[in-house]
Amino acid sequence: MSETSHPVPLIFYLIAALAILYFLFNLRRITAVRIGKKEDQSLKIFPQIFNSLFFGVGQRKVWSVQFIYASIMHFFLAWGFIELFFATIVDMFTKWGFFVETLPGKDTPWFALINDVGGVMFIIGILMALFRRYVNKPEPLPQDTFSGRGNLLGDSGILLFLLIIGVGGFFSEAARLAIDQPETAHFSWIGLPLSKIATAHTWEILKPWLWWSHALLSLLFISILPYTKMFHAIVVILNVALTNRKTRGNLTPMYVSKLMEDPEADIDEISLGASKVEEFTWKQLLDSVSCTECARCTSVCPAYNTDKLLSPMKIITDIRQNLYTTRFSKDKPESLVGGIINEEELWSCSTCGACMEQCPVLINHIPTFTDMRRFLVLSEGKPPTQASKSLENTLQFGNPWGLPSSDRTKWAEKAGIELPLMANKKEADILYWVGCAGAYDSRNQNVSKAMIKIFEVAGVDYAVLGNEESCTGDSARRMGEEYLFETMATQNIETLNQYKFNTIVTACPHCFHTLGGEYSAFGGRYSVVHHSEFIQDLIQHEKLKVSPSVSEDITYHDACYLGRHNGIYDSPRNVIQSVMKNGKLLEMKQNKKNSFCCGAGGGNMWYDIERGDRINVIRFREAFETGAKTIATACSFCLFMMDDAVKVEGKENTVQIRDIAEIVANNIN
Amino acid sequence: MKICVLVKQVPGPDSPLLISDDKKWIQEEEIDYAMNESDSYALEEALQIKERLGEGEVVAASLGPDRVQKTIREALAKGADRGIHVKDDYPSTDSYVIAGQFALALKEENFDLILSGLQSDDTGMGQTGLMLGEFLGMSTSTLVMETDISEGKLRVKKELEAGWFQWVSMDLPACITIQSGLNTPRYPSLRGIMGAKKKEIKVMESTPQGELLQSLEKIYVPKKTKLTEMIEGDTDQVVAKLVDVLKRDIKVL
Repeated sequence: MSETSHPVPLIFYLIAALAILYFLFNLRRITAVRIGKKEDQSLKIFPQIFNSLFFGVGQRKVWSVQFIYASIMHFFLAWGFIELFFATIVDMFTKWGFFVETLPGKDTPWFALINDVGGVMFIIGILMALFRRYVNKPEPLPQDTFSGRGNLLGDSGILLFLLIIGVGGFFSEAARLAIDQPETAHFSWIGLPLSKIATAHTWEILKPWLWWSHALLSLLFISILPYTKMFHAIVVILNVALTNRKTRGNLTPMYVSKLMEDPEADIDEISLGASKVEEFTWKQLLDSVSCTECARCTSVCPAYNTDKLLSPMKIITDIRQNLYTTRFSKDKPESLVGGIINEEELWSCSTCGACMEQCPVLINHIPTFTDMRRFLVLSEGKPPTQASKSLENTLQFGNPWGLPSSDRTKWAEKAGIELPLMANKKEADILYWVGCAGAYDSRNQNVSKAMIKIFEVAGVDYAVLGNEESCTGDSARRMGEEYLFETMATQNIETLNQYKFNTIVTACPHCFHTLGGEYSAFGGRYSVVHHSEFIQDLIQHEKLKVSPSVSEDITYHDACYLGRHNGIYDSPRNVIQSVMKNGKLLEMKQNKKNSFCCGAGGGNMWYDIERGDRINVIRFREAFETGAKTIATACSFCLFMMDDAVKVEGKENTVQIRDIAEIVANNIN
Repeated sequence: MKICVLVKQVPGPDSPLLISDDKKWIQEEEIDYAMNESDSYALEEALQIKERLGEGEVVAASLGPDRVQKTIREALAKGADRGIHVKDDYPSTDSYVIAGQFALALKEENFDLILSGLQSDDTGMGQTGLMLGEFLGMSTSTLVMETDISEGKLRVKKELEAGWFQWVSMDLPACITIQSGLNTPRYPSLRGIMGAKKKEIKVMESTPQGELLQSLEKIYVPKKTKLTEMIEGDTDQVVAKLVDVLKRDIKVL
């Protein structure tokens, strides 16, 4: 923004060149991620360019109504910064005598105008940021802000630094305007009024000081940028460009059985899961380097919001800290898992995906956390104490409850239902995957009965696996027990491949997610449909005639593995709407992609974190506040957890918890 | 401290139990075998003793056909250092005979401590561990709930009837049987499972010696019976009868 009436002294260019060289040298900080392992993801040119423009430069996910203040703040700061950056580049070219004819000059009216706009946006953004950090203080935002977590000047120091540069720029401009008196000075709508505060003579004296301090501070900023928080402006573009958004969130198969057969594999050397920084992939490390500590992940985390130890942001930045120390410091870093990241933090995660949904820089939290869980379970043999029984049961009995596998169809026998078995039919249009909860949990058995009623009324050609069905291994996989998951997957794929069917239908989003999304890596490719979509389809195609007779309000609780993980938000709502007479479908405050977990995902169904509030009770209260008489779910675990919460809260007589299949089954003739 | 744990392979809890044609055993074809439950607690106790002492060796021993090596491997996966397979394709169901076979096979090892579960889930005799201790001239104790080793002495907390416990002190070497539930058996890690493949299992051929003191005559599924006695009469009579039943038959009053 500044220009001298006399030529820029040569010494400036020398210093500038040094600053840029130092900046380039400091960029090597990013090479720290090279100590990571190979990343297994395919990248295609077009989506990657799109990502870098849309999520990187375009900052699409920074904008969030939920975090509106921070969104506006960042908009001002970032776009102001970018405008000033370009203005400086243009200035540089014209000063060197390049493109003087085509590029705007300092006093070209529109350029003068927008440069002041840029400066104002920049300063407003910084002031908003400082206000937020010192007055607003949204809770999970880091508060130790001058040193901090691997970034030079911390969070506040860099803001003050930038503020000085921004304000200094305006003063420098004011001095120039006061001395040069250009005709178009009034277009510099901040610079001109500012120049009026002192006499031209005063400005004359101040000018060299203002100019040099602004120039040197700016160069200093550029040279140390990779060591400050502002590094994210570069790294994030790289990180989103190298993210495959289609596979983001997917867990990488370990192919344990191959590993076990490999005679070369040295058990003492082999890495199972991740506990040291070198055991993460370079992309996971790049994720950690990209983290801006905006704390959005933590502020939406159900574990954090119920006072558990987990803060996703802390874990990601712990990894970064460890990476920088390992790579650039003589100190030995504190160990990660079991050291700076304790086991309870990791086990508090319900893998609900709220953090990933919010993350503006597309960090892949869940697979990273799962890798650490894999270390705990596969390498250390330390699943949560309560959960180890469920894992052993899954292997021994084929269900986490440890009930006899021969009792899998007892629910139907007791209800007088004669289940068509695949073993007898060999072929059916629909394979109904009952799931362990649907088979063994008394509450969920009712959902299975409702499904059978729907199949029968709609005349669906269906069959079940009966006692041949086994746990899909979902909970095991989320808990990091990849070996058990693989065992279950292999066994189920073998069973499924004996039969002919077109589609698997299941009422459990966890079964849906594993069967439909994860078994393909082990050779099981099936068309899997969740019952919400299946029922919606039956109703839409009038294969199932429902009588809309519900006159009471219903609220729907989104299941994480149906919603956020698989993008199904509308079908369960449509199904509920189809049975409504006078009742309304009420939305909770946190719904759809911003939904709040029931607390059972990620294996949490099988152990309790004895700290803070119970997630299901918190979610139940939110549902209760809508005033709805029915809380509808579309997930075995959610149903179980809500049913538990309604009892804890003593509201059984006020509110009922129903799966959408039960609601439909009650409204068909 | 050289510790041995006897781990028996028994039909797993989810196996169908169908009686064989000669009515003397169950049909073994359909069975998934597992480690005897109380033996898995004994194994955990052995591993914990070794960890507490900071030195020593845990050896898992099992008697039976080749399939029992799977159970030994399971113990190795959880942390036992090596295994001994006392190979007998047709193991007897007589504890006396089995203890004799074990005694012969394990004698040379000179273990300081031998642990086993208090009884097996299949035959439930509860004698093998004790007899083995006697054969090898070791101190013995049963139904152990807690162990404490210091200065060459073993102290054990034993379970008595009706919620009573007893601490007993004894010299080493000792052979004790472990009650289920005294610890939390560890979860086998994949690293452990893979590492177990490299650990040694010594196979020792063995045949039953000496006379058979007992044999299985017949096994059968108990008939489920439910006897409901209705107390009838007017209120006074019903109350009087009920009090009588509670006093004399059920003995709660």
